[in-house]
Amino acid sequence: MINHETELKLQAYLDGELSSSEAMAVGELAARDQEVRSLVEELRATRTLLKGNELELKLPESQEFYWSKIRRQIEREEQAQNAEQGKTAASPWWIRFWVPAGVVGALVVFVALALRNPQASGPALAMDDSHEIETPLEETSSFSFRSEAAAMTVVWVDSHRE
Amino acid sequence: MSRKPDYPSAEDPALVKAAQKGDMQAFEELVARHRDKLYARAFSMMRNEEEAIDLSQEAWVKSWQRLKQFQGEASFVTWMTRIVINLCLDQLRRQKRLRAESIEQLDEKLGGVERQMPIVTPNPTERLERGELRQRIDEALARLSYEHRTVLILHEFEDLEYKEIARRMECSIGTVMSRLFYARRKMAVLLAGLKREELR
Repeated sequence: MINHETELKLQAYLDGELSSSEAMAVGELAARDQEVRSLVEELRATRTLLKGNELELKLPESQEFYWSKIRRQIEREEQAQNAEQGKTAASPWWIRFWVPAGVVGALVVFVALALRNPQASGPALAMDDSHEIETPLEETSSFSFRSEAAAMTVVWVDSHRE
Repeated sequence: MSRKPDYPSAEDPALVKAAQKGDMQAFEELVARHRDKLYARAFSMMRNEEEAIDLSQEAWVKSWQRLKQFQGEASFVTWMTRIVINLCLDQLRRQKRLRAESIEQLDEKLGGVERQMPIVTPNPTERLERGELRQRIDEALARLSYEHRTVLILHEFEDLEYKEIARRMECSIGTVMSRLFYARRKMAVLLAGLKREELR
C-alpha cells in the first residue's frame, strides 16, 4: 500500500507543485510501480473530468429585484457612513474648544482660590519661596519651589526617603 | 450636451472605470453581466440558495465600496469572484464554529474511508450529455464535506495554487494537500458510480 506521504507527492506531481528534481523522482517511481501508476491515473482522470465541467447556475431572481436590493443596501450603508462622518466632524468643535476651555477655566478657578487662601488649600499649593509638601506615600517626599520673580515653580520628588 | 454611454456594448474595463467615478448605471450593467457566475460560485460553496443569494449580493455591495482599490491586475470578474469566495469562507467558518464536529471531520483526522477505497477510473468519455455530466459532478460535490468541497473548488475551478488556498482557508499547505487528495478520491468513487456499501 502506498503511504500517505507518497500519495500527496503523487498529487503534487500531477498538479505541477514539485521541483524538477522531485518531479523526476516521482516520475521514476510511477514508471516502476503499477499501483503508483494507477493512482496517478485516477487522480489525473478525476481532475480532467472536473475541469470545465462545473454546473452553470442562474440566479433565481430577476435582475431588477436583485439590483434593487443591492442599490438599497449601498444607499443605506452610504447614509450610515455619512451620518458617522457628520458625527465625527462635529466632535472636534467640542474637543478643540470647549473641552480645553473648560479644563483651563477649572484650573484658573482652582489656582485663584488657592492663592486667596493658601492655608485652606493645604501645603501642596503654598507659594512660599521654598516649602515641603506633605505626601500620602510613606517613602516618598516632594518639595516645591516657586520664584515669583521668575514666575516659575519647581517640584522635586524623592522616592527614597530615609 | 454629453451623450449617454452605451452600457450594454461597453467592455468591462470601461464600465469599471465609469463605476469608479460613481456611475451607478455602469455598475448595474456589471451586476447584470456577472451575477449568475457569482451566485453559482457562492452556491457551489454554500449549497444553500438563500445564503448564496445573500452572499453574492453582499459581494456586490462590498465591491462598490472598494471599487477604487481595483487596479485591473486581474479581470473584474476574477476580482469579484475572490470577494465572494472570501465572504463564503467567512460564513463557513462562522457556521463551523457553531456546529458540532462532524463525522467527515473525524474521517479527515483518521485518514478517511477514502484511503481504503480501491483505485477507480472515472471515464471522461462516458456517454453522458455535457449537462448530465455537470449535473452528476455537482451532485457528487454536494456529498463532500465543506472542507473537501471548498479545497476542490478553489483548486479545480478557480485554479488557485496550494499556497494560496492555504492562505485563504487559514490552514497549512499540508492540510490543503491532504483535503484535496481525499476530495479527489471520493469524487473518483462517486463519479464511477460506486457506493460506500459496495466497497465493504
